[in-house]
Amino acid sequence: MGEEYSPAMHAPRLGQPDLGVGIGLRVPHYPAIFRRRPKVDFFEVISENFMVGGGKPRHHLDRVLENYPVVLHGVSMGIGGPSPPSREYLNELRDLVRYTKAAWVTDHLCFSGARGVHLHDLLPLPFAEEAVRVVVERARAVQDHLEVPFALENTSSYLTFTASTMAEWDFVSEIVERADIGILFDVNNVYVNAYNHGFDPFEFVRAIPHERIVQVHVAGHTNLGKYIVDTHRGPVIEPVWDLYRETIELAGPVSTIVEWDDEIPPLDVVLAEAERARGIRDDALGVRESSVRGIPEERRVPLLARETLPDDDRPWIQGGPRDAAFDEISTRSE
Amino acid sequence: MSDLAKVQEWMATLLRHERALPLDAVVREDASRHIAGNDRLTPAEQLEIYREQFWLRHTASLVEDFPGLSGILGQEDWERLVEGYLGEVAPTSWSLRDLGDRLPAYVERCDWLEHHELAVDMARLEWRYIEIFDAKDASRLEAARVAAVPQEAWRNARMRVAPAVAFLDVRYPVVELRRKLRMASKNPVPIPERQPAHLVLHRGSDHNLRYTEVSAVESALLRLLHQGEPLLPACEAVAERFPDDTAVIQASIGRWFHEWARREWIVDVESL
Repeated sequence: MGEEYSPAMHAPRLGQPDLGVGIGLRVPHYPAIFRRRPKVDFFEVISENFMVGGGKPRHHLDRVLENYPVVLHGVSMGIGGPSPPSREYLNELRDLVRYTKAAWVTDHLCFSGARGVHLHDLLPLPFAEEAVRVVVERARAVQDHLEVPFALENTSSYLTFTASTMAEWDFVSEIVERADIGILFDVNNVYVNAYNHGFDPFEFVRAIPHERIVQVHVAGHTNLGKYIVDTHRGPVIEPVWDLYRETIELAGPVSTIVEWDDEIPPLDVVLAEAERARGIRDDALGVRESSVRGIPEERRVPLLARETLPDDDRPWIQGGPRDAAFDEISTRSE
Repeated sequence: MSDLAKVQEWMATLLRHERALPLDAVVREDASRHIAGNDRLTPAEQLEIYREQFWLRHTASLVEDFPGLSGILGQEDWERLVEGYLGEVAPTSWSLRDLGDRLPAYVERCDWLEHHELAVDMARLEWRYIEIFDAKDASRLEAARVAAVPQEAWRNARMRVAPAVAFLDVRYPVVELRRKLRMASKNPVPIPERQPAHLVLHRGSDHNLRYTEVSAVESALLRLLHQGEPLLPACEAVAERFPDDTAVIQASIGRWFHEWARREWIVDVESL
């Protein structure tokens, strides 16, 4: 009996388009985006911020959709939790997919709570067969339900479980292969986890199935010395760009998003970071064409040699601030 | 229950603890069974990173959504309130937007608060704002739609109130106080005197939030219409409740309806 057909056998990015280089859509940038309509290939929007009835969030989304393609990135699915994602959540997400005509949907390889309690965090899973089985079954169901390709992001973490029986890259690979879904490959998360858990990040980059990478994330982080926090604050550091370059050399042209969620700077700063990504991407694609790959060993920065910062007592929230109710106008009853 | 689910429930329960996990000997022992740790952090210390973030993230979200309430209470009482709320009322929605949905009811029970009634009013106002801010959009009521309702059908006509309209009775001028608190830097904002009012909170088609003070009679009528009561029975019920204002209702109903439609509070009329 022949092997079952899988798009991954035939096309990079599971056949999904290369949208170029974009940025995460963030509320503080709305005025500049709507006024200047900057040159951005596409935006990634946080799904949950727009899974609402109407009002300003949907109005702003409409204005973005008039001029740019968007992809959806969720932070609340909790696909590896004790209970499967709720049907209500998936229905609302599917409505948003249809509304935005997003080419694909992503969320995180994590769990977010238990017994009906939602902790609004991306909690790590043990890298073990039971978690693989749980996520594979649900990821297939989610992809069927959403009716567009679904990809899971490798998540940053601050702990590992004694129950883990495999490396993180094997865990990710096993899940995406068995579920036949895509990878949203966050190279900053690879760096964060390599620092926090002590492995070679390039091993991660090289080990995953590159044809399944439908999108890449790059972002800044906060190094607290004993561990790195995935704050999406500040510019992307050089070692993360190195991982990005290596990823593109291996995977080819993949849609790339710059995330910046805390201490969000003016739009131009984030756009400059996106241009940096574009330059590196172009270089890496050139290298890929010439088949001379790899980042010289001497250029790599040792993981534990980074600058350290004082204790961080701020929350990190993916997607930055929500659109929120602020100024109200008084009217008189007549 | 599977081993995976057991570990997840254990972890999810611990992350809502109010005190630092590494200080607890039982947690330290359990953590070392489930979590690997490394040469820089013990298993309990790794877990503690997530616990701290649970509190920081949810507290920050509540501060953002309830600037008026946190401004009234001050740092110490606000922290006590939030700790109690998050400890007692676990977040269950996938959206942080819903985190404060049960806060007004919780504040009502917190009679230890110094300005309790004021705090209750403010919590209710701020939650209503969140509700109408992203409620479903609705089209403006077209004149042709009104004209199509036969004269004799108005008695039992049902008005559809826009999803982005909310009604709120307050005892203090909390809208104005909220604005002052949000604008105040370090200058203290005086606690206002009681000033009961009936408010209609509304998001207009320009997406801005508006508030309008209406009379008790108008408020009562609007609420009944919102609940689906047909026009005439609603007017009769309000007249019964406010017998001195029967003439006012009769004289004003046409003008009120016109105003409600103009303000986009009423977005449809269903004649039976």
